[in-house]
Amino acid sequence: MDSAFGQLTVLGSSLVLLCGLTLLWRRGSAAHIGAFAAQSVALAATAGLIAVVTGSRELWVVAVILLGLKGILMPILLKRMDRRFGGPRELEPYVNTATSLVIGGLLVVLAYIVTWPILDVSRLPTRAGMPLAMGLIFVSLFVIISRKKALTQVIGFLALENGIALLAMLGTYGIPFIVEVGVFLDALMGFLVMQIVIYRIQETFESIDVEQLNRLSQ
Amino acid sequence: MPLPTGYTVAIAQTALALLLAPGLVGLIRWLKARLQNRRGAPVWQPYLELRKLFAKEVVVSSNASWLFRVAPFVVFASTVAVAFLIPVLAVPSPFDPVGDLLVVVYLLLLGTFFLALAGLDPGSAFGGMGSSREMTVAALSEPTVALAIFALALGAGSTNLGQIVARTMADPAAAVSPGYLLAFGALFVVTLAENGRLPVDNPATHLELTMIHEAMILEYSGRYLALIEWAAWLKVLLFFSLLGNLFVPWGVATVLTPSALGWALATLLAKLVVLAVVLAVFETRVAKLRLFRVPELLAVSFVLAVLAITVSFLVR
Repeated sequence: MDSAFGQLTVLGSSLVLLCGLTLLWRRGSAAHIGAFAAQSVALAATAGLIAVVTGSRELWVVAVILLGLKGILMPILLKRMDRRFGGPRELEPYVNTATSLVIGGLLVVLAYIVTWPILDVSRLPTRAGMPLAMGLIFVSLFVIISRKKALTQVIGFLALENGIALLAMLGTYGIPFIVEVGVFLDALMGFLVMQIVIYRIQETFESIDVEQLNRLSQ
Repeated sequence: MPLPTGYTVAIAQTALALLLAPGLVGLIRWLKARLQNRRGAPVWQPYLELRKLFAKEVVVSSNASWLFRVAPFVVFASTVAVAFLIPVLAVPSPFDPVGDLLVVVYLLLLGTFFLALAGLDPGSAFGGMGSSREMTVAALSEPTVALAIFALALGAGSTNLGQIVARTMADPAAAVSPGYLLAFGALFVVTLAENGRLPVDNPATHLELTMIHEAMILEYSGRYLALIEWAAWLKVLLFFSLLGNLFVPWGVATVLTPSALGWALATLLAKLVVLAVVLAVFETRVAKLRLFRVPELLAVSFVLAVLAITVSFLVR
């Protein structure tokens, strides 16, 4: 039972991580938003699975909020943003796709090395997924620094948040509910703020290529 | 009635693979045609093509050297040799001590290498272009084949393909482990690239700007072309058997009784048909990638293979 549960959580975590790697692979905004939505659904499913096995009611609520907020609401908002700010294509990233994929793979290996001591200590059946969550955090950070379009960076940030939520769930079976909700609201607020910032960038530069921010305008 | 020996079965399974390969490709073509609202050639069309090609005379460019004449035989022989080494119907095969996963990968690469040489040999512009592209793809996809199967080999503790199959049968939970699924994804993408399927190469056209495999064999005719085509079709079947038998090993015979072998044959056919349907649907849905984006796709599959190894090696 425990080993099957462990396998399934690792499977869920791998799916979540794969969606994160898709951000590095695909170029279009629509593909990125789809990958983020799929990632949130996979994350919610993993949360639901842990909730079933541990019988934690709070985790159920977390899973439902995840599904509603990040699986449905945020992708809709993102799509609206994408429609408004134009260009369907990702700008040429700082690091080309093939290289960034290899770097993504290496980051996951790094995550394994970093979490090695924790895996030794932990006795939870879900521990095997933790390096994958850590890997997602690294990969999302890499998405944020290597992509030029502000929208992609926002998605990278949201994926980072997913990675943190996954790590918390796998490592501790969920942090206290109030903290969890606080984090959700934080992410939502951050998202709204970023939306406004992107709007301002668009207004000033008529493009959401963040490289333009390096130059002084007028 | 005496049971068939391992050697008889191994030889029979190679003969079977050779016989089935044109039919499999014909099935894929027919399915694709139906999916695209065409009537399509009958499934046995490739057999007729083979018969026609073997009967035709061979025309060889006056610039071509002996290499051009040897290459088809090397390509065909290396692919047939692979057929002896991979689990198609029964494990363990008596040829297991002869070669493992690494030998399989290098035999496949040997065929590709000679095909590329043969493309360069007559000095035609298309041939050289095709060879250069084929080498680009092969250099990226061959390591991924090895890595993806290594991920399974780590679990089995052996690079021997027969033992990997036996081990997965003994431990069914392993087949749904993330390492296996990631490796399956990686190997599937590589199957597309190695066999010149969409989105890497389009097997249905002779459009000069995009072709890879067809460009290399443009100068071939008659029985040489027949051998090369047959080898290419056999390669599709071998990759399908690898996908089917390594990841879903149930059905593969472990004892050489007639009933077990019959069941193995039936499951093999079922797996091939399922994979053919998957491939046909997939090829109908995707468009061909621009050549310079092919390395990105292969990088994806390489990363999948690396993750598969990481997951199965570091978490046990």
